[in-house]
Amino acid sequence: MAKEDRKELVIIGAGPGGYAAAFHAADLGIKVTLIDPEVNPGGVCLYRGCIPSKALLHLAKTKEEAMHASKWGIKFEEPKIDIKKVAGWKEKVVKKLTEGLGQLSEARDIEYIQGKAKFTGEHKLEVTNNKGKTSDLSFEKVIIATGSSAVGLPDLEIDHDKIWDATDALELKEIPKKLLVVGGGYIGLELGSVYAALGTKVSIAEMTPGFLPGTDRDLVKVFEKNEPFKDVFFETKVEEVKITKKGVKVSLKGKKEEQNKKFDRVLVAVGRKPNTQNLGLKKLGISANEKGFLEVDNKRRTKLEHVFAIGDITGEPMLAHKASHEGRITAEVIAGKKGAAYDPKVIPAIVFTNPELAWCGLTEEEAKEKDKNVKVVKFPWSASGRAVSIGENTGLTKLLIDKETEVILGGAVAGKNAGSLIPEIALAIEMGSTASDLSLTIHPHPTLSETIMESAELFYGGATHYKKA
Amino acid sequence: MAKEIKVPQISEGVDTAVISEILVSKGDKIEEDQSMISVETDKATAEIPATAGGTIKEIKVSEGDEVSVGDVIIILEDNGDGSEEKEEDESKNKEEETSEDKKEEAEKEEEKPDSDEKEKDESKSAKKEEEQKEDKEEDEDEDDEEDAAEEDDEKKKSKGSEAKKDKDTDEDSSKEVYASPGVRRLARELGVNLEEISGSGESGRITEKDVKEYKEGGSKKSSSGQAKLPDFSKWGAVENKPLNNIKKTTAKNVLASWQSIPHVFQFGEADISGVETYIEDHKEKVEEAGGKLTLTAILTKIVATALHKFPTFNASIDMDKEEMILKKYVNINIAVATEDGLLVPVIKNADQKSIKDLSVEISEIAEKAREQKLSKEDMEGGNFSISNLGGIGGTNFTPIVYHPQVAILGISRATTKPVYIDGKFEPRSILPLSLSYDHRLIDGADGAGFMNWLVKALEDPYEALLG
Repeated sequence: MAKEDRKELVIIGAGPGGYAAAFHAADLGIKVTLIDPEVNPGGVCLYRGCIPSKALLHLAKTKEEAMHASKWGIKFEEPKIDIKKVAGWKEKVVKKLTEGLGQLSEARDIEYIQGKAKFTGEHKLEVTNNKGKTSDLSFEKVIIATGSSAVGLPDLEIDHDKIWDATDALELKEIPKKLLVVGGGYIGLELGSVYAALGTKVSIAEMTPGFLPGTDRDLVKVFEKNEPFKDVFFETKVEEVKITKKGVKVSLKGKKEEQNKKFDRVLVAVGRKPNTQNLGLKKLGISANEKGFLEVDNKRRTKLEHVFAIGDITGEPMLAHKASHEGRITAEVIAGKKGAAYDPKVIPAIVFTNPELAWCGLTEEEAKEKDKNVKVVKFPWSASGRAVSIGENTGLTKLLIDKETEVILGGAVAGKNAGSLIPEIALAIEMGSTASDLSLTIHPHPTLSETIMESAELFYGGATHYKKA
Repeated sequence: MAKEIKVPQISEGVDTAVISEILVSKGDKIEEDQSMISVETDKATAEIPATAGGTIKEIKVSEGDEVSVGDVIIILEDNGDGSEEKEEDESKNKEEETSEDKKEEAEKEEEKPDSDEKEKDESKSAKKEEEQKEDKEEDEDEDDEEDAAEEDDEKKKSKGSEAKKDKDTDEDSSKEVYASPGVRRLARELGVNLEEISGSGESGRITEKDVKEYKEGGSKKSSSGQAKLPDFSKWGAVENKPLNNIKKTTAKNVLASWQSIPHVFQFGEADISGVETYIEDHKEKVEEAGGKLTLTAILTKIVATALHKFPTFNASIDMDKEEMILKKYVNINIAVATEDGLLVPVIKNADQKSIKDLSVEISEIAEKAREQKLSKEDMEGGNFSISNLGGIGGTNFTPIVYHPQVAILGISRATTKPVYIDGKFEPRSILPLSLSYDHRLIDGADGAGFMNWLVKALEDPYEALLG
């Protein structure tokens, strides 16, 4: 085989981390080779994650809101769900966006290679295309951005038929009558919500005493008020699973009792693991840590000068927006920008359920643990004109503010559009803003964003629309 | 109530010391003024006396520790009124302010932008040094930003103390540095450690301007403010040896002096043929008294007299208060070269001592210095320094003023030269003298006048004393 020229920069994985790195590096004048098994960039996020799930969650929300409107005098009939059409629409969304990325990649003269990469040396790798044909290439520098994949449970093998992972759930082949979601984290809640809206009776089994372990309970309560699920089993483990012709028999072992339940399908959403296996890392000369993550410095450089890693494989939180930020930073590092480094103060997290939950920075639980000298201010949405006018009275906005410096250290929003509200708090924290910076910024009326301003006002004693009893 | 014994001011300009020996142990009953701990400073070994009597409850240091002035070293038993807890907490807080703990804190903070940790306990003057040094080293491309730096020099000073206050109160709650992402990036670009900047924004938030100004005025510095050294081993074998305490202090002090004092050098020559005869004639008498009659002793006496005549040479300058401090006593430092480095013990009230007394005292104190037995008192309170390199050689040198003093006299080796006297050349012993002084306080005319007077006093003391 003819020996190829050394590629200037190879990026393995074209998810939000990889393609962001590739695009930015190309914009900075670097010749980029991007390798991914899919036909276009996008990765799990666009093909089987964030984007399709949000499309479906949007439908779920639309349906719920329509049903809800009967209380206000607009009554719709029970909706008819055309699952094929729903799946088709979701596919259209995915296709439009990934093709768009393909065009953006092409417009930047990025060499896109469809296939799977595996290192064969310090500067060499082998690409296997979808037909199993291999080719070799060598590179100067490489960014590993291979992402993560769902983990199963020891006694709960995912068979992609009756036992699903998130990808299977997003395929939307059928609407099971009864679905058990194992795992009360954000993926379980989001997908559980989708199926609940589609008419499935969804039960959730979670090992810990509540949804979203680590998240402040007051936020979770806002979500729970909607009672989205049929049954919820906390502190419960899946003991035994028997696959029958019709469905799945599951024995759930709670704190006190064990109960046997029948479901049509089981969705396993207990977590994700970094894709650092089968990459030939040993040949490259690095290895993952015991959790499977690659260790990197604040330039996202591994212990090898020419090898970088970004996204889910560098550690928690495994979030697309963290990955794309790392991608852009790394492109700048490689382009020789001295100031480029990964040093976020906060990474916002959002659960796109209905209502949405979003937070960033210090949480109340952490503040207690670390014994931080903070004042927690909470503004209930029942005091917000906009929230009440759209029937979102149960929402909540809160800020954690350093008592002495008045600097915003954390914040959270639970309610409609929480995900679109949280960036203001994230920006405030990154800027080192104080409560007065927020309270003195004019927020448009009537919007939900006012709840952030009024929370900040609460720090100084009183908000215009809320007086603590 | 529990009593704390803290590290006292050991010597002028000395803020840290290494514990060389602990002379007491837990449970001991000690009396006030009893020596408890001996420390080695850059200049001498000193014993720290108890500032109160009582039973030792806790010794907070161990041998080899570096301590700073104000650190708690020993806690005495209290009378059991329950207030000790609080005391301990306080001492703990204070400890947290020491540089070592700051290092730890820095380590705790994750993802700090390239936080190569720097010493933070540098004195204000040291910091100023670095800033000024930095000015010199500034790259050309930053010239255009210099104006702003000057303008803010004053502001920075006041900011500095404010920020310190902030930090003190806020020690536990957060060590966070507040700066926007763009400013954090700029800091990395300029190689500035944000932790060293006191921000001008609300709650100490660091602005882009703060970072730029700090960079201009201040330190990209390695820990010492010095630009990074090349790898010398590329060019041949090298040996790395740690600096001893004396060298470290000398380095710090002379740098501070050099950078904060605008030096002027005044040279002079004195015919000391007469003085040499005088020494020859009286040397035995002095030897009997246990001293050695030297030119240094004679010059100490002459300088002591001159300092009365020229009071600005016996002064210090306080730029913060915009005043000069005229001292009504005459203490003179004598530079002594020792194996470990330069030491400058003080002869107190030199003006009230005879040349014989001075000879004896100088001999004794030089011996003490060489044996590293100088006490804290031996080193403190000097007003003017004399450095005699005549024993070694050289024609002239320019000694550095010992801050906060304002002048220093350098003596080189006398040589026999032909001097034209009464129509013919005569062989005379000529002594080269160098005077370095702080031009902020002393004008050129005074400098020349002072030198003239010294020369005259050496050549014809009667005339000099005539007035």
